[in-house]
Amino acid sequence: MDDLSTVLGAISHPSRRAILHRLAEGPARVTEIAAPFDMSLNAVSKHLKVLEGAGLVDREVQGRDHVIRFRGDPLRLVSDWVHEYQQFWTERLDSLEQFFKTKREKKGTKS
Amino acid sequence: MSTKEDVMSAKPKMLELKFTRTIPATPAEVFGAWLDPTHPGNPWTGAKKVIIDARVDGLFFFATAKDPSWPHYGRFLAVERNRRVQYAWMSPFTNGLESTVTVTFEKKGDDTLLTLTHAGLPDDDHGRLHEDGWNGCLGTFVGELGARAKG
Repeated sequence: MDDLSTVLGAISHPSRRAILHRLAEGPARVTEIAAPFDMSLNAVSKHLKVLEGAGLVDREVQGRDHVIRFRGDPLRLVSDWVHEYQQFWTERLDSLEQFFKTKREKKGTKS
Repeated sequence: MSTKEDVMSAKPKMLELKFTRTIPATPAEVFGAWLDPTHPGNPWTGAKKVIIDARVDGLFFFATAKDPSWPHYGRFLAVERNRRVQYAWMSPFTNGLESTVTVTFEKKGDDTLLTLTHAGLPDDDHGRLHEDGWNGCLGTFVGELGARAKG
């Protein structure tokens, strides 16, 4: 499997994306990562191994603790693969749709 | 010496992106929002500078807000009130070639079906082809985390 496929596989799971979001805030111990999720430590460890395999996180052993750190570089493979305008138009159309949704909701609550 | 086949194969591969959205507003409202850069939620929102002369052969310019800021130039090819707008579009991502953006606004009950196609985009390292299904969710996710990775 090529690097891009490995990275896509790693971020294809919502729990792993949630873990990455958490780690993008700063490094954390495995127990800290698991805390907000309804998942066993074992399940979190498995997800971390997949992320580690894709180079999206690395770990530093400090005594009994394993500190996990986010590594964003492999995501560039994905952002290079997704067309610039794919993201551009998606953001613009999201913003337009959201504006009119909010407007209609407000109108709905008034009447 | 180049043969005809060489010339053909040297032609850059092009790709077309297509998006559809159901917008909870009338075609007139959505069309108006699309062409008025001061309208909230406008597709040009967030650009550093926007100039639009929305009539056939009118020109537009905008520069994206994020660094690096990318300049975009274009010319309106069709402006059909509340129905359709089409413009030629050039930017660093089109490699100096004209791409074409077509937006149609179709009434669907109380809503508007907006269809946007961006055709004639060079399919190269500057903007790789994506596959169906990998849309906004992934784009935003990668954008957010990628930005942090670069920071």
